[in-house]
Amino acid sequence: MNSLVPYSHTLVLAGGLFFLGAACTAARRSLVMILIGVEVMLNAAGLALVAASLRWQQLDGQALVIFIMCVAAAEVAVGLALIVHCQRRTGSLDADRYRLLKD
Amino acid sequence: METVLLLLLLLPLGGFVINALWGRFLPRRAVAGVACAAVLGALVCAATALILAADRAHDFTFFQWFGAGEFATAMNVHYDPLAAIMALMVTFVASIIHLYSAAFMRDDPDYVRFFCYLNLFVFAMLVITTADSLVFVYLGWEGVGFCSYALIGFWYQDEANANAGRKAFICTRVGDIAFGVALGLFFARFGNFSITYINSHAAGLSPTLATLLALLLLGAALGKSAQLPLTVWLPDAMAGPTPVSALIHAATMVTAGTYLLMRLFPLILLSPPAMLIIAGVGSITALYAAFAALAQWDIKKMLAYSTISQVGYMFLAVGAGDIVGGLFHLVSHAFFKSLLFLAAGIVIQALAEEHNIFRMGSLRRLLPGAYWLFLAGAISLSAFPMLGGFFSKDRILLATFIHPGGAYLIFWLLGLAAAFLTPLYTFRVFFVAFPERPDGRRAAEIHVTPRFMAWILWPLAVCALGDGLLNLPGGFGKDFLGYYLASVPGARPELGAAAATEWAMGLLSAATVLASMTLAYFLYRRRPAREPALTGFWGLLFSGFYLDRLYGRIFVQPYQTAARFLWRRIDDPYDRGLVRGARAIFRPYRAMAAFFWVKIDEVFLDDGVVWAAGGLETLSRRLGRWTSGRLSTYLKMLLLGLTILFGALALTWHLR
Repeated sequence: MNSLVPYSHTLVLAGGLFFLGAACTAARRSLVMILIGVEVMLNAAGLALVAASLRWQQLDGQALVIFIMCVAAAEVAVGLALIVHCQRRTGSLDADRYRLLKD
Repeated sequence: METVLLLLLLLPLGGFVINALWGRFLPRRAVAGVACAAVLGALVCAATALILAADRAHDFTFFQWFGAGEFATAMNVHYDPLAAIMALMVTFVASIIHLYSAAFMRDDPDYVRFFCYLNLFVFAMLVITTADSLVFVYLGWEGVGFCSYALIGFWYQDEANANAGRKAFICTRVGDIAFGVALGLFFARFGNFSITYINSHAAGLSPTLATLLALLLLGAALGKSAQLPLTVWLPDAMAGPTPVSALIHAATMVTAGTYLLMRLFPLILLSPPAMLIIAGVGSITALYAAFAALAQWDIKKMLAYSTISQVGYMFLAVGAGDIVGGLFHLVSHAFFKSLLFLAAGIVIQALAEEHNIFRMGSLRRLLPGAYWLFLAGAISLSAFPMLGGFFSKDRILLATFIHPGGAYLIFWLLGLAAAFLTPLYTFRVFFVAFPERPDGRRAAEIHVTPRFMAWILWPLAVCALGDGLLNLPGGFGKDFLGYYLASVPGARPELGAAAATEWAMGLLSAATVLASMTLAYFLYRRRPAREPALTGFWGLLFSGFYLDRLYGRIFVQPYQTAARFLWRRIDDPYDRGLVRGARAIFRPYRAMAAFFWVKIDEVFLDDGVVWAAGGLETLSRRLGRWTSGRLSTYLKMLLLGLTILFGALALTWHLR
């Protein structure tokens, strides 16, 4: 199987994807967009895991990815529920509006 | 015995210390009480010591005082009959004067200071009286000089009084120089300052050295006893309060000089020339002062000159070799002179500080107490036959007469002349001030003085009138004092004159006195009293033969001229130059100080600290932005932190 994708390429892709997800989380003001960024980061991590399982020819990586997808789904459900709750409370999805942590 | 002598010295000193430290807080009665108790206690000690001593000499050393190499001296005491009599007289007269002063100074604001100095004075005088070591005597000598200065200038707010005090101190200081030189010579020759030692070893002295020492001692005595040429301070010393004049300048300090000569008499005996000079000084001073006393209008100045005159008699006695006579006259004089001063004090206070006898008059009726007291003193001073000073003065004149040497005959004549003048000037004052006269004082002008002041003086009057009994030339109690003093080195209990000479001398003295008193009566009682103009002969007498003016021209004026010259021409320009020079030196210093101040201190240190503080403040402000409360900031920071952490972990994974 010489036409395997080189491991480093997939890692770079996963890294780039992760960085994009992080940028989305850090730089967007909308709460939904922050969640989307988190989702992207999770998927990037999943991609890195699949690439690693291919590299070392073990199925553990792929099993972990299925776990991650479940967790991500649950987490998104909870997150969206929180966002809906917050939006009902304050009437806005702007992250800058939430400053109660500031002293 | 030793305790008694120690108490004798320490009681007046203790009185001084108590009044000096706490007198301010005590009521006046307590202050006077402490002072009088101290002196009365000393009187009791003196009397006790006299009884216990039983005319033997006692020597005690209280403690070693100081020493340097071979030079050592102690505070020791030589208590012989001479010291015993003197101490008793000093404490007795001082007690009466202290009691009198309690009343006399009743209105004075400086009550405490007065009694402090009086007590200190009595202490110093008793030191002179009893001390054995001549350095210890010198301590007392200077002590009485200082107290005299302080008490003469007691009312120092008036410059004249302060000047009088200074004059007294400076004049006596001149004598003290002689004392100092004598002390040095004593140490060089004897290696010792003890009077007993010197007296017992005096025989080995060469005549020159003996004469020198005797003359130096005479110099010291001249200053303290106000004999020529150092008489000028005593009339001015009358600026002090009257009790001071009575104590210091009648009974005690002025007799200190004579007393010193008597203590070291064996030394003086070795030098006939010195004795001649002493007798000469004494007799000439006696006559000089008697003349001056004749022209005074101030009652206290008359008494001052009279003191000078009578102390001259004491010097004459020493010069004639008769210290018994000298001491006898010393004691008599103490009694009647202090009596006269204190009675005059009553008059002065009653007439509101009037000293001029020509503004007195009719005082017999207005102040009867003072009248009788003054009369008693005057009779005693005049050497009225059988009373008071008659026997003492007579003995001195007899001793001078029988002393071999033609010069002594001259001295005797001088003494006789002074004896003629004494009743004259005394009764001059008496007849002008006391008897009834039309231009005299009226009752309304008299200020009431406490009666206590008068009747405390009666014991003194009794002593003054009756002290001839101490040493009668014949009959019961003959030469009592003389025999008491027999153990004192150099004393002659009896003069050894022929009976005929004695009788003749006595009759001559009596006749002189009576003649003089009669003359005084006719001159002053029968004619109206007019204050004489102070010109010509009378002016000469009044100013004490212009001695003051002479000293002023010889000593004072050149000194003042020189001082003024030095001040204007030398001292002032020097000061100005000094200031300029100082400024030049200080300029670089000030530049350096300015540099340090501005450059280093302000810029470097101060601004540096401010800058550092500003930097910290900025840092903290910038850091504070992280706590913005914004979610995105926190997320960013979270991601950043995690990145760093995992990156570090990844890089160092191979080290695990």
